[in-house]
Amino acid sequence: MTAPFTTRRHFLQITGASATAACVGCDPKMRRAFLGPLGDKIDAVNLASFTSPQGAQPDLISHVLSRLSWGVAPGEYARVASLGPTPEEAVAKYLEESLATDSKKLAAAAEDLVRQRQGLVEHESILDQAGELYDYHPKELNFELTRAALLRAVHSPHQLYEVMVGFWSDHFNIDSSKADCPWLKPYDDRTVIRDHALGKFADLLRASALSPAMLFYLDGRQNTNQGKPNENYARELMELHTLGVHGGYTQTDVLQAARCLTGWYAIGRDSKRFGVGKVEFISAKHDDGPKTVLGHEIPAGGGPKDLDILLEIVTNHPATPQFIATKLCRRFISDDPPASAVTATAQAFVKSQGDIRETLRALFATTEFLSVRKTKFKRPFHFLVSALRATGVPHECGREMQIALRRMGHMPFDYPTPEGYSDRGDDWMSTLLARWDFALRLGRGQIGVNNWQADTLLKAAGGEDGLTRHLLGRKPTADETRTLATAEGADRLAMLLSMPDFQQY
Amino acid sequence: MPENPTVIVEENSSPQHVLVNVFLRGGADGLHLVPPIGDDGYHRSRPTLALSEKGTLPLEGIFRLNQNLEPIHKFWENQELAIIHQAGTPEDSRSHFEAEDYLQYAGKSGGGWLGRFLHLTKKPTAGPLTAVSIGEHISDSLQGTAAVSMRSLEEFALPEKTEGWQSELAKLYATSGGALGRAGQDTLAAMQRIRKLTETLRAEQKDPNRKTAPDEFTDGLELIARLIQADLGLRAATINLGGWDSHYGAGVLLSLLVPRLAAGLANFGARLGGDLKHVTVVIMSEFGRQVSENSSLGTDHGRGGVHWVLGGGVKGGKVHAQWDGLDKALMTYPSDVPVKNDYRSTLGAVCQHIEPTIDLPRLFPGFEGAPLPLYS
Repeated sequence: MTAPFTTRRHFLQITGASATAACVGCDPKMRRAFLGPLGDKIDAVNLASFTSPQGAQPDLISHVLSRLSWGVAPGEYARVASLGPTPEEAVAKYLEESLATDSKKLAAAAEDLVRQRQGLVEHESILDQAGELYDYHPKELNFELTRAALLRAVHSPHQLYEVMVGFWSDHFNIDSSKADCPWLKPYDDRTVIRDHALGKFADLLRASALSPAMLFYLDGRQNTNQGKPNENYARELMELHTLGVHGGYTQTDVLQAARCLTGWYAIGRDSKRFGVGKVEFISAKHDDGPKTVLGHEIPAGGGPKDLDILLEIVTNHPATPQFIATKLCRRFISDDPPASAVTATAQAFVKSQGDIRETLRALFATTEFLSVRKTKFKRPFHFLVSALRATGVPHECGREMQIALRRMGHMPFDYPTPEGYSDRGDDWMSTLLARWDFALRLGRGQIGVNNWQADTLLKAAGGEDGLTRHLLGRKPTADETRTLATAEGADRLAMLLSMPDFQQY
Repeated sequence: MPENPTVIVEENSSPQHVLVNVFLRGGADGLHLVPPIGDDGYHRSRPTLALSEKGTLPLEGIFRLNQNLEPIHKFWENQELAIIHQAGTPEDSRSHFEAEDYLQYAGKSGGGWLGRFLHLTKKPTAGPLTAVSIGEHISDSLQGTAAVSMRSLEEFALPEKTEGWQSELAKLYATSGGALGRAGQDTLAAMQRIRKLTETLRAEQKDPNRKTAPDEFTDGLELIARLIQADLGLRAATINLGGWDSHYGAGVLLSLLVPRLAAGLANFGARLGGDLKHVTVVIMSEFGRQVSENSSLGTDHGRGGVHWVLGGGVKGGKVHAQWDGLDKALMTYPSDVPVKNDYRSTLGAVCQHIEPTIDLPRLFPGFEGAPLPLYS
């Protein structure tokens, strides 16, 4: 699948990548040596003392923080609490803060974070342009992209943005093992997902439709007017990206939509010409006859405009707000979200013409969102990231974390079929052993850069009681207190991270 | 442990079918494993390497079995072993890595074929150990599903001296109820079974009367058998046996390797006993070797090889081939056994047998061939 593709630059890079892969995760001393100048950036966490929630149940601030972030970092609860005189006002401020900056600015900040933490100064790697990405070894790109996803989730101050990046990465899933996707997914991640994660849905959809990685992944580049159109993308566009499987489209709609999209092409390795990674419209391969999609007539002669008309039709179809709202409510409220919350969210989507921030604002204002607690089961990525965030364990997020993700079947950009990883708790229940193993090793100081001291965290949290409340977002129950009393030292922290409660948010 | 922990697989429910993929890395010489003794071209093209009727065991028609595979001949006689000759990929790649990628991923889709298979046949309750790769790494064929790589049973465990910690955790999960509470108890129950298994294995390994000499391949397959019998919800396993790249001195090289393959499979079958009917072993290699031997008494990278399907209710005792003699192959360079049986025809038949409703076009995108008639 991965044909040899060697340039001098590529050779140097792959040697570097394998050196990374070989030494990170084995000998701690080697790890330190590899980190070199980066080490001081991610080492030495001087935790200031912080206060933790006091309620018997997670209070509003604790709840909102756990849902809108990849996990509560030390001090974050107190910081949000200080934003307003009442919890309601503090949360309102936090929401505004989370929704304040637009996606492109956030994307730029996320790039800086990766440049700094991954040391991507000498070569750009995943931050490179689409055509340039082909100069790298696919394994290196995948490694760096996964590492970037983890580092950003752990360290970015723009947590809701990162959560939404995860959400849309699943929604517009691309498996970076298919065809040219290993080279093009980093570009898709940047220009589709990150540029629009909190933008307008229509812009996100259009960027995805014309993403070279998507044109490869769902065979859009094979879709021409020669013979029967390739329906792969057209079907998933309706089934997974907009209307949903029961959204009321027919097989004829799929075929007609596929006709609208004929002629869009991504230049790839197999094209044997310049411009790899570029997307073009080949009018000779476009079916320019009249089409009817979902009851809308599209006149002949539209050429490349057919795509825009089609995307407008599917975006404005009444099933789309409902489908998107259901998925958002599943992420933020519960696996089977209440219809009333879905309706309110869908209405905001319609009213704001698919403005993602406005839609989220409405969702976060529903009583259903505000009143639920800990109804969601963390997926493995969420568990791992929240454990690093909660403890402040410094980690370069390389091989060790990626092995843990792979073991639990949750490597980002690695899901084979287009519907993306499941967001239902039941599908992830088989991953508990790997979580406990990670928790025990983390507690014993065997995870990450080996200079982390559990004592530092304990001291900053104001003792065991404070640490427990920090990790659970509330006071422990009688059962939990009894269990925790049996665990000693480092294994007590592991117990906290392994308890049912820490698996939920 | 709390009373009545829910176990993943009920003791009396019908056992889950397990698919075991054995990969012979390096390009195994099909003509040496299942020689077409009755084909003159075979003897003419391999003056030193060709096996004779005397050194082989009977199969079907012109085909006989390498003497060193004698330990698995009983599977053939019991009709539990089907042989697919002229097997391979339609792509003419003689690169080990490229050809292996074809066989592991099986189509321009995401994930490996075995990962996709598990994904497409997703069961409502996944156990804590659904798929395992024996060795250091998770096999490419399992990409796209939750899988564990392990060298030994000890790896499906938590760090040492945490037994007390685990039982306290179990109590907490028991009180928490719901799907999460059940999953926690299931996982802890599975670990207890594995711990027992580990103890048994350790005791056996210390036994001075232990019959089989330690062998990585035999031990790996044995581990798979134990995991199957421990009812942990295992559905797929992969294991490699490497070293088949017989460019030089093929006779000696294969005389060491073939017995290992046979011994591992024979021991696996014996360990499973009657359970073999719920376990399908598919044995593949990235390609076969050229028909003609080279000047260093070996053979070079070719096309068609031999794939095997063992157990799981396969209609064995048959060699699947459309053999029209090697003479034609010998007229061209390189002289190859033509690929007449696409590897996906074999895998398709196996997957369809295990899961009759499987969506084959999604499992093997772009493949339009029919599954081989491997079952009655």
